[in-house]
Amino acid sequence: MKKLRNAKWLPMLVWIGGMIALWEVGALVVASTKRTPENVLPHLYQIIAAIFDNKPVNGGQTAIMVVLGSAGKTILRAFYGFAAGTILGFMLALIMKLSRIAEKLIFPYLMLVQMIPILGMAPIILSITGDINKSRIVIAAILTFYPVATNTLAGFNAVEHEKHELMHSYAASKFTVYTKVLIPYSVPYFFTGLKISAPMAITASILVDTLQGDGGLGSMLSQSLKHGMSIYVFWLIVFFSAFIGIFSSKLMGMIEKLFSPQKRKKRGNGV
Amino acid sequence: MNQKIKRKKSLWRRMQENRKILAAESTVLPLLLGIVIFICWETQILHGILHTDTFTLPLPSRIANIMGDNVNKIMTNVWATVFVALIGLAAGSLLGYVIAVIAALFPKWGSSGVTIVAAFNAIPIVALAPVMTNWTKGVSEDANTRSMVAKILVVMIVCMANMSINAYRGLTEVQPFSEELMQSLVAGKKEVLVKLRIPNSIPYIFTALKVAVPSSVISALVSEYFAEYIIGVGRQIRENIVLAQYSTAWAYIVAACLIGIIMYAVTMIAENILLKKHA
Repeated sequence: MKKLRNAKWLPMLVWIGGMIALWEVGALVVASTKRTPENVLPHLYQIIAAIFDNKPVNGGQTAIMVVLGSAGKTILRAFYGFAAGTILGFMLALIMKLSRIAEKLIFPYLMLVQMIPILGMAPIILSITGDINKSRIVIAAILTFYPVATNTLAGFNAVEHEKHELMHSYAASKFTVYTKVLIPYSVPYFFTGLKISAPMAITASILVDTLQGDGGLGSMLSQSLKHGMSIYVFWLIVFFSAFIGIFSSKLMGMIEKLFSPQKRKKRGNGV
Repeated sequence: MNQKIKRKKSLWRRMQENRKILAAESTVLPLLLGIVIFICWETQILHGILHTDTFTLPLPSRIANIMGDNVNKIMTNVWATVFVALIGLAAGSLLGYVIAVIAALFPKWGSSGVTIVAAFNAIPIVALAPVMTNWTKGVSEDANTRSMVAKILVVMIVCMANMSINAYRGLTEVQPFSEELMQSLVAGKKEVLVKLRIPNSIPYIFTALKVAVPSSVISALVSEYFAEYIIGVGRQIRENIVLAQYSTAWAYIVAACLIGIIMYAVTMIAENILLKKHA
């Protein structure tokens, strides 16, 4: 048991160590060649030091207060859009499964939405909704809803024929078929969709932040890039947003395990 | 005695069983929806629903006019974006595949390496783009080349993460019996790779590409926001909105959508041709 653990975690640790080493070597090179190394590649300890630095950088707030405060705003807005998109996506998949005509009507457009760069449309959505908060939620919701809808629908359609036949022989009602077979079966697919869309919702939220300065990670990011405050705020935000992006996806995986302990090992990825 | 009782099928039932009608349905229905949306847009019903005006959401005819008037300028920006997206896509996918092959050869160290590369996928582009702009400051004297390199790097990282995880699955999730067969034939590691693993990974490559192609366009558009040099469809959308020229911005949005759709369509066609040959 102990050996197994070692074998699993050791390579991961070595890889992470290697990346840190690579970064530090880069930082050393940059420090000796550039005039302002902290703009290009600061040492990791300098970034970590910035977390605990209690020198005010913006209106009496320390770096970490700025980052956490704006991150809270960004994550909350991303979450609203994500929740709305998830519900919408699931309902849409259900409607498409219930009615063949609805599926034929909507499905091509679902594929089309996937190809349209919604993030590039962020500024126009802002001007249509007229409100930055609303537009953030709308964009995060659009980005969330199509991976959820397509993956859930793939889950519904992946139910084996025998299961339908069995339910038919039980003379099960449509409602029972959905609640007992189709919906439980689609759970892993549904979570595949969520895992894809969670980081996207956060990206969307940060991006919309950069369009208008009213707090949030994105607007702090562009302010610190323009040297409105310490450049370490920029690095903290970069690392923090990378972290919440990765973490949001992992979080969905954890929630999935909570909901389906018998998680199927083999499953398609519906894309 | 054994005579079957036959009831005449209703028209609805017969329609549902007729293949030709079913096939026609799947093109006619979406087309109808499209026409309805178009009419709502052109007659400003859509504006009523969205509580907006023809200034922020111009009529399709006006957008088409503007696109026609600015063809040259739009094409310059389209090429800038497509160039970044394609080069980044190609370089990133290739790199991702090479990483996957190396990882498949040394699974003990490789699998966790791929996990780490895959984690790059979850890093928001918004965080990646300014870092790349900073790192490429010294690449060239010319701001255009400099920004180009930065943008390509962003697209590359996004595509690399995507390809490596999918290709790794394709290279390792081979049928157990074929692996056993190769073993019983005393095939070397290299032979297993060339004759079994790489062919097995081809459908997975297309799974990766189907995700990577749209996201390469999106990453190109978003990284343009943070680039130094003002060029590209994404940047033009933003610049025009800042100047309150909404119809021009919409012309660029249409261009961006067309880029996305055409690149996706090409991928699908390539998949159909290549996979058919393979099977």
